Amino acid sequence: MDKLIEQNLKAVLEREGLQPKPGDLEQFSEIIGLYVENLKQLHSVNLAAEELGPVFRPEWTGK
Amino acid sequence: MAVAEKPLHYLTIHEAQQLIRDGKLSPLELTRAVLDRIAAVDGKLHAYINLMSDGALAEAQAAEAEIAKGHWRGALHGIPIAVKDQLDVAGAPARIRQFTQGVGDATAVRKLREAGAVMLGKLHMSSLPGDLPLPRNPWNTDHITGGSSTGSGAAVAGGLCLGSLGEDTAGSIRNPAAFCGITGLKATYGRVSRHGLAPLSWSLDHCGPMARVVEDLAHMLNAIAGHDAYDPTCSAAPVVDYTSALREDVKGMTVGVPRDYIDACAPRTDAIVLKRVDEAIVVLKSLGAKVEEVKTPTLHLATIANAVIYYNEFWAAHKSDAAWVLENGAAQRRARIYLGLLTGSADYIQAQRIRSRCRAELAEVFQRVDCLALPNQAGPAPRVKDVGPIDTLYKHVQPEFHGPFNLTGLPTLSVPCGFSENNLPIALQLVGKPFDEVTVLRAGYTYQQQMKWYETKPVI
Repeated sequence: MDKLIEQNLKAVLEREGLQPKPGDLEQFSEIIGLYVENLKQLHSVNLAAEELGPVFRPEWTGK
Repeated sequence: MAVAEKPLHYLTIHEAQQLIRDGKLSPLELTRAVLDRIAAVDGKLHAYINLMSDGALAEAQAAEAEIAKGHWRGALHGIPIAVKDQLDVAGAPARIRQFTQGVGDATAVRKLREAGAVMLGKLHMSSLPGDLPLPRNPWNTDHITGGSSTGSGAAVAGGLCLGSLGEDTAGSIRNPAAFCGITGLKATYGRVSRHGLAPLSWSLDHCGPMARVVEDLAHMLNAIAGHDAYDPTCSAAPVVDYTSALREDVKGMTVGVPRDYIDACAPRTDAIVLKRVDEAIVVLKSLGAKVEEVKTPTLHLATIANAVIYYNEFWAAHKSDAAWVLENGAAQRRARIYLGLLTGSADYIQAQRIRSRCRAELAEVFQRVDCLALPNQAGPAPRVKDVGPIDTLYKHVQPEFHGPFNLTGLPTLSVPCGFSENNLPIALQLVGKPFDEVTVLRAGYTYQQQMKWYETKPVI
């Protein structure tokens, strides 16, 4: 796991008053790295003024 | 008394309800047969974590007496079912809950009881505390069932119940349905109440039925669908008779194939899965459906967006007991907390915006098509020995076939479409418009009646 990511996770855990289970950060290093890498993709798309809010649109009933 | 041509434990709900209604099968005899089956093979499958035999026999006897007096409640009356642990059952609250109270019967469980179903007990699910043996796949007990509705997949496929309720946040109904060769329906978000369901992620959790054939899903959905004042996200949209979908007819139906999205998942998908799904789409076309490729430009981000929302809502739901989870909880649950903590507010908001965009893109697609057809799984069920405790999470963070439809809340059916070279089941996924479960059930029913994969049973 990237050192910065590990430091960040430890800091957030500490802020929440939590301790990682011994060995977890090493055991989960790969999935944490992949997750953080893929998070960047979320911001790779230009959504312009895409609204928030999961509202079903009336036109969905049409074919 | 029974006149069935196959073992009672392998009757479908649809077959059993006809025999019960006609007085040719006793609910007590059926329940005893399923309990005998559990006694015979659950030592190999490990599906049940709380078998409620005495209660089930009493309920079956009561159903039998009621039917004898002419009060047949409907298709589920006297039918033995079981539910994923995540759902509360009176007297057996969800074991996955560590610090939250159960509600007695979850609404979906209560509705099944009101329909006359016989409750056999609670089924295993992924990430339970303790050292319970993992459920095994009835098609080959060296292989996993898929999760997280692990016990439901094993129990339905193995003849240890006629139907089950599962829960799906990122594929947890569809994945075990696919791996175990049964059918499963993640209905539209809000179609089935989540009251009494131990939460993983409030805006992604879906409760739904798992059974051997599409007819059975329709019967179960008839019982459990509908508004529930105890669940503020449960929809008041009208409920229809889902058995009205049970006619073999896809003529004039337009089936969309999101080829660009399938291609995005292809590097992590076995060739046999792509082949079987393509064959199934050809069958739908031969039955009269029009098949059209559709484009979904943002869907490749839907899986990671689903994961971000899942882990953040999981963290929020478990903040008060996180210290206990990190010390004692299963690896998957600990990892979800770490991943939730690592996500910033901008990531969470961006995930919600992608959710909105994906829904808009799919709404546009559904102007032209009636349902989507695509694969359900990356490959056949892997071997138990090859699966690590957090391997499922890798599926959650890279493009795959389940998360996009939790993110968008659309109704999604898993229906078997053949077998791999080593005789493990493979499934097709059919996705519909919001609250249009009828169309996906009809497409799935038509395909299933044509191919009859359900007639092949595992040897346990």
